[in-house]
Amino acid sequence: MTQPLILIIEDEASLRRFLVPALANNDYQVLTAATGADGLAMAQSHNPDILLLDLGLPDLDGCEVIRSLRQWSRKPIIVISARNQEQDKVQALDLGADDYLTKPFGAEELLARIRVALRHATQTVADTQVLQFGGLRLDLERREVAMDGIPVRLTPLEYRLLEALAQRAGKVATHAQLLNEVWGPVGAGQTHYLRIYMGTLRRKIEPDATRPRYLLTEPSIGYRLNVD
Amino acid sequence: MLFGAILGVRAVPEPQPSPRSVPDLGPGTVHSRKEPPLSDLSPETVHPILVALGSEPRALRLVHTGFRMAREQGRPWVAVHVAVPDWETAPEADQAQVWLREARDLGAETAWVTAATVCEGLIQAGAQCRADQVVMGHSRPRGLWDRLERSRAQEALRRSLGVRIVTLALDPAPGGRVARSVGQRLGAVLAVGAILGMCGVFASALAVVAGFPGVPPVFALGVGFIAHRWGRAGSVPATGAALGLGALLFLPGPPFRAEGWTRLLVLAGILVLVQMVVLLVDRLHQETRSLHRREAESLLLMILGRALGRCASAREVAEVLAERTRGMFQAQAWLRVPELDDTWITLPEAPEPPACPRPSVLLPRFGRGANRTDPFAPLFLEGCSFVALAGQGGADGLLQLRLEGGRPLAPDSWGLFQSLAVQGALALERVRGLEAVHQARLATESERLRNTLLGAVSHDLRTPLAAIQGAATSLLLPEPLPEATRLDLLAMIRDESEQLNRLLSDLLELTRLQNGALRIHKEWQLLDEVVGSALQRLEARGGPLPIRVDLPASLPLVPLDGALMEQVLINLLGNALRHAPASPVTLCAWEEPGAVQLAIADRGPGIPAELHRRVFDKFFRMPHARNDGGVGLGLAICGAIVDLHGGAIWVEDHPGGGARFRITLPLDGAPPEPLEPEPSPLSLDTLP
Repeated sequence: MTQPLILIIEDEASLRRFLVPALANNDYQVLTAATGADGLAMAQSHNPDILLLDLGLPDLDGCEVIRSLRQWSRKPIIVISARNQEQDKVQALDLGADDYLTKPFGAEELLARIRVALRHATQTVADTQVLQFGGLRLDLERREVAMDGIPVRLTPLEYRLLEALAQRAGKVATHAQLLNEVWGPVGAGQTHYLRIYMGTLRRKIEPDATRPRYLLTEPSIGYRLNVD
Repeated sequence: MLFGAILGVRAVPEPQPSPRSVPDLGPGTVHSRKEPPLSDLSPETVHPILVALGSEPRALRLVHTGFRMAREQGRPWVAVHVAVPDWETAPEADQAQVWLREARDLGAETAWVTAATVCEGLIQAGAQCRADQVVMGHSRPRGLWDRLERSRAQEALRRSLGVRIVTLALDPAPGGRVARSVGQRLGAVLAVGAILGMCGVFASALAVVAGFPGVPPVFALGVGFIAHRWGRAGSVPATGAALGLGALLFLPGPPFRAEGWTRLLVLAGILVLVQMVVLLVDRLHQETRSLHRREAESLLLMILGRALGRCASAREVAEVLAERTRGMFQAQAWLRVPELDDTWITLPEAPEPPACPRPSVLLPRFGRGANRTDPFAPLFLEGCSFVALAGQGGADGLLQLRLEGGRPLAPDSWGLFQSLAVQGALALERVRGLEAVHQARLATESERLRNTLLGAVSHDLRTPLAAIQGAATSLLLPEPLPEATRLDLLAMIRDESEQLNRLLSDLLELTRLQNGALRIHKEWQLLDEVVGSALQRLEARGGPLPIRVDLPASLPLVPLDGALMEQVLINLLGNALRHAPASPVTLCAWEEPGAVQLAIADRGPGIPAELHRRVFDKFFRMPHARNDGGVGLGLAICGAIVDLHGGAIWVEDHPGGGARFRITLPLDGAPPEPLEPEPSPLSLDTLP
């Protein structure tokens, strides 16, 4: 298997200086671009397997970059942003970014996100009918859920919610995405529905609902099904 | 109004006072503002003086009379207004409130009575407060019927209350009036002629019938009356005419006798004397009246000064000024304050204040150089009178007055108007001074804060930076380090940079919270989730923590900003873990009517009671706290966030030892619609 190619679109030299060796040392090929325009051009010419995109670029709005990329590419995009930019993150995720990292972040966190993103890019849900996350087992064909081997009875909505999360296991799912997938267009803006169902789902699945192991909260953004 | 109601002379029934200004207490209720209530006065209490106030502008005289009488007699006094439904208009009711307030300022107990007639209301109020004296005003009766009605009403009062009634004329007294129009002048001439003629006839009759030489006294009486009624303008010609008549009477037939001349001279002397005395007495009378008016005015100004002294802002000053001016002049008044862009701020805000030239046009006309004939005269422009509120740099603003119909202000009110402006200017200056002091205090405070911040930041930023720099340079040394040391230095760089990050985030967060840059985004959330994500972040650093969470499943959704409240929980739990290591920390929540309560308790050393408030100050750190990386921002951030939620945060002693932080979050706003219940858990056959 060839080494995956990573394109880093990041204007700050010090961050590139840290990212390039960290990634190269973990068997990735790395390309860098300092502006959004350069990044888009390089993405077209090199077709990287994964993109790391800083939202605060000097020339283009990060969301613009995602929008242009998503017109022709389904390759995973991981967004890098500063703290307190929750709205930008949500917008980027809703536009099709796969995950996000908040500055400052550690190398291990970055590598974990890249692994998850690449795994999702290479496999589709259709391949695997049974998903296993630690003690949580999800049989997509038979629509059965079990925790540590014990079947869990879920309502249809709870099941759909869990399924939606499982289909992006390890990645963050925004409130808007989950509402749209579970409730459809009527769910738009009804975040409290989502919260209530997430609460009941946690009580059924998590051993301790206030210390979730599987259904993690991404404050102000959405939820993530933990795969570690 | 008051007496109008008793007499029934008001032809037009007017709408009831609006409930906005007057509490509608229903018929026959007495509403007293002061303790004890009117009905609770014990029998041995001194009988108070009851002053019946109407809403007419001159009722102020009644207020002052009542005040004076009460003080002279050393008795309490009660000012009462009788509101007759369907009679009084809202502005009248408002005005009556103003008079009542004035009376209250002068030490009266006040009452607002609603009754079918004023007489009835007074009987009621009088009976309840056991008054033995009623002071009321009366308008000038307009005929015999009025007089009869009034005496009937007074009789009714006297009978039912057994009180003494003091009435005060509210209309300006007649007299000293100068005939102006041609018709009036002609009438006056005719009247003077008729009086003199009657005097002549009467004097002749006396002389003929009784043989009494009555010409001088009778004519003196006539001329005296004329002098009183029409002043010098009437009495001088009348004296001439009387002398002429006297000449006819005393000097009958040619040739003139010497005896007649002496009599005529005596008559002239008497007439001139009488005339002078009457005019003098009248003048004295007038002076007394204007003295009384001045006294009332100065009393009013005193009350105004007191009211202005209580104002804390320019807006309040304007409101008080406008209200009192309205009461004194029965006119609309505004304060106009110039803005930098050559417009006015109008205070109090009026939907459509009358037009007013721009400040750059109007203000120079009040400057020193402006030539005006009378320095006291207000500037009269487009139906409004203006006086300047003189500040240090010329006119600070203008007081604008609009009398009904856009009349100019009468010269005898100029002084009062100017005094109002002076009081207003002083009050404005005082308010500005207060603001300046407040600003200065704020500036000092923020300066002090900045210094603390700089000190704290430079220390707390440098420490981790020094560690990072030291570790990194050691790693870069040419001599290879032992593997264990190398790893240790690297871990140190990681830990210290995390510490730096936390500090910077806290600083940023607090700055944004405090300068209002942060918009709170409340959503209805489950506390479980917020608590869960806070624990998730806390435990991500070092595994499970000894935190016991007790959240009842019945907790309602709470409107809160998830990210901010998570920060609060992380700070509080983090503090508890740091300051009370190895002690169990509990987090519990419960619902109360209208709020959700949260408590985070530990079994650590606790916080001394005198520091319970101070721990929420910025950069406050517990005395003797070990240097654990905290900078004293955590609780300040918690306080700011809970404030933004409209809740409260405080710390108390945990029964049994330790500290307990408490948070109340209001459950305000409409909770989201309940979800439609899902019928049954998932089963295979129900699915498509």
